[in-house]
Amino acid sequence: MTILQSLARAYERIPDAPPPGFATQKIGLVIGLNADGTIATVSDLREAQGKKKVARQMSVPAPVKRTVAILPNTFWDKTSYALGVTAGSGKRTVQEHQAFVDHHRKLIGATDDPGLLAFLRFLDLWQPEMYEAHFSEDLRDENVVFALEDERLQNIHLHDRPAALKILNTADTEGGGQICLISGKRAPFARLHPAIKGVWGGQSSGGSIVSFNLDAFESYGHEQGENAPVSESAAEAYAGALNHFLQKDSGHRVQIGDASTVFWAEADDTQMAALSEKIFGAMVGGADTKASAAEEEAAAKRVGIVLEKIRAGQALKDVEPKLGDGVRFYVLGLAPNAARISVRFWLAESFGELAKNYGRYSADMHIAPPDPHGTPALWQYLSETAVLGKRENVPPNLAGEWTRSILTGTPYPLTLLNTVLMRIRSDGIINARRASMLKAVLVRNFRMEKEAPVALDPDNRNKGYLLGRLFAAYEHAQTGALGRGVNATIKDKFYGAASAQPRKVFALLEAGSANHLSKIGKVRPGQRIHMERTIGGIMDLMDPNSDPFPATLSATEQALFGLGYYHQRNAFFATKEIPSEETSTDA
Amino acid sequence: MTYGIRLLVSGPFACFTRPEMKVERVSYDVMTPSAARGILEAIHWKPAIRWVIDEIHVLKPIRFRSIRRNEVGHKASARNAKTAMNRGDLSGLALLVDEDRQQRASTILVDVAYVIAAHFEMTEKAGPQDNEGKHLDMFNRRARNGQCFHQPCLGTREFDARFRLIDLDEPIPEPDTSAHTAELGYGTPRDLGFMLFDIDHQAKGRPSLFFRAMLQNGVVKVPPLGSPEILR
Repeated sequence: MTILQSLARAYERIPDAPPPGFATQKIGLVIGLNADGTIATVSDLREAQGKKKVARQMSVPAPVKRTVAILPNTFWDKTSYALGVTAGSGKRTVQEHQAFVDHHRKLIGATDDPGLLAFLRFLDLWQPEMYEAHFSEDLRDENVVFALEDERLQNIHLHDRPAALKILNTADTEGGGQICLISGKRAPFARLHPAIKGVWGGQSSGGSIVSFNLDAFESYGHEQGENAPVSESAAEAYAGALNHFLQKDSGHRVQIGDASTVFWAEADDTQMAALSEKIFGAMVGGADTKASAAEEEAAAKRVGIVLEKIRAGQALKDVEPKLGDGVRFYVLGLAPNAARISVRFWLAESFGELAKNYGRYSADMHIAPPDPHGTPALWQYLSETAVLGKRENVPPNLAGEWTRSILTGTPYPLTLLNTVLMRIRSDGIINARRASMLKAVLVRNFRMEKEAPVALDPDNRNKGYLLGRLFAAYEHAQTGALGRGVNATIKDKFYGAASAQPRKVFALLEAGSANHLSKIGKVRPGQRIHMERTIGGIMDLMDPNSDPFPATLSATEQALFGLGYYHQRNAFFATKEIPSEETSTDA
Repeated sequence: MTYGIRLLVSGPFACFTRPEMKVERVSYDVMTPSAARGILEAIHWKPAIRWVIDEIHVLKPIRFRSIRRNEVGHKASARNAKTAMNRGDLSGLALLVDEDRQQRASTILVDVAYVIAAHFEMTEKAGPQDNEGKHLDMFNRRARNGQCFHQPCLGTREFDARFRLIDLDEPIPEPDTSAHTAELGYGTPRDLGFMLFDIDHQAKGRPSLFFRAMLQNGVVKVPPLGSPEILR
């Protein structure tokens, strides 16, 4: 199954999907018309959400795709087209409104339907100057739909009337038939495809997955949509499904770095499908903290339990047998490129397989001591690779590549290792998240399960790991001697050099630590002995036949250096905490 | 009597671009018949023969990677060339590559290997001096020696294909047993959706031909041209 086919299939499962030829749009107001074409009422459909007013989502005839040309929509449009009024400079509003009027006169022609008659009369009567008499100022540029006044309260709009539907169905059937590459049936192909909205960082008017906007992209003399024949109905279906999934709070999207990721499940059991979607959302998006109602809370709890078991390495078919076998799961990562949308990754897999790969990833990332804020979500890890931790600074492509390798169980991208090392060198922060990313790459890509342990391994003889531990010990000696008020610690000054070119700085650090230790010895002789023992213990493990401080460390050794530093540093904190706990229990 | 050949092709990268995602390229999961035909034609082709692809065997797991490249945004215009000829002046004809850039993302296949099983048919252009044995010998000799008219490629020119002829008495290589997964259609056949079969260059408007590709035990069976499975 191809991406577009799967999306078109998913569209059939969306409960309130608009019928073919229709699309969901944001509608700001409805105009109630009298039979003679005068305006009876104007109702604002927008709802206040915080400070903003948000227009209502409504199913209306599918919009035309506007670029530069003036093209009106059918039975609805924004005020500049429908009423000839706009908030902007409005250089073209006269032409736009005229196009709207002409379009409908031509489309409707002679009719005896009272609704369409009233609409035509309204178009004859209406003058843009009458705007202020009927409408408030802030309704400018909202989308307008029309209704007969006596039908308005039953929620029947002009485009819902049988006579209007008949017109809509007979229009737009021109265009040669081609084999549709989604449905495989012969049908008129879509020249331009509906816009996909809501891809993070893309144009607000939306972008296209299927588009041929320069002649270098066209082949064999085909123009636009003919290059990839997709029938109109299939194009609307896949775009409709994607737009539905991309909506905020649809429960089908997460943002992973620059990749807007949508996911959906397919199963005979709709409950299981919904549960798997929730679990996946929690896997990559982090726990949903907004759950409030008791029912939601129970669901969230269930998701949490399943997730814990998957992380612990249990196979899904043992935890939730129905989830493991019967659910097919789809994940699609999209990233914008100007007006186009590119596919970063695509996955169609059984949910059990997906959970297994996620379990492997959790095992790779497992580190002790763990992150104090609980299991981080994927985007939190990615923020660690970004300058200033900002989401827009996540290196492009890294997010998509990493997510793909997590979900498919393939080796991680090596850029992940380099990026994390680079971030550590430039800002000097080594926390649980970074250490676990380093460890994960070492374990999966280099098969260094032994060299890259979960927790402090006092017998590990890898030189990168040992130097990392030693560096942490020197830093600890400095803190012990000079306190925490030091402006630039040896970590701030030397971490980068020590991890990449140990020979340059370790002699210096060794000399400095002698001073620090003697100062500690004057105040707390016990701590001095403890420190010296630790340093001696690390030194003892070093291979006597090779240089203890090599000129350079490779990238993997640098990663082990970071891991060793993280483990040793936290071991110092841990030993400090234990005595204090003992005294408190004694007292 | 069949004149079948089997050719092993492999490479570190491949991009069998889907028509619906050919701008921000996304590759098909498996080599298309037209790409396979292109590879065979690069090794041996004459107007007297027409290659027919029978099967495509997938030998490696299907793995993707996405990359970004700077490509050219426009084609050189034939009309401009014509007016320049008439004018006898070349000004304004140039297409400056570094001033007409389009960054395009591509999701491509990595580390691929296929066996193409194919045969050829004689066309109406075959003369009295053409016969099947001659062309079969020519292909086998050229493929064995690594000869080709131009370097065959895996979908796009920048991803070159390495090839090796598989002799008739040699068994077709199988994927690793570790790759015998549902992904390659082991157990249940995997539906790859509609796949490009070829472009119908004879018909008006040069429409694309599609067929529903199924991957079964690592093999895509390609229907013959003219069968009802080819949608036109």
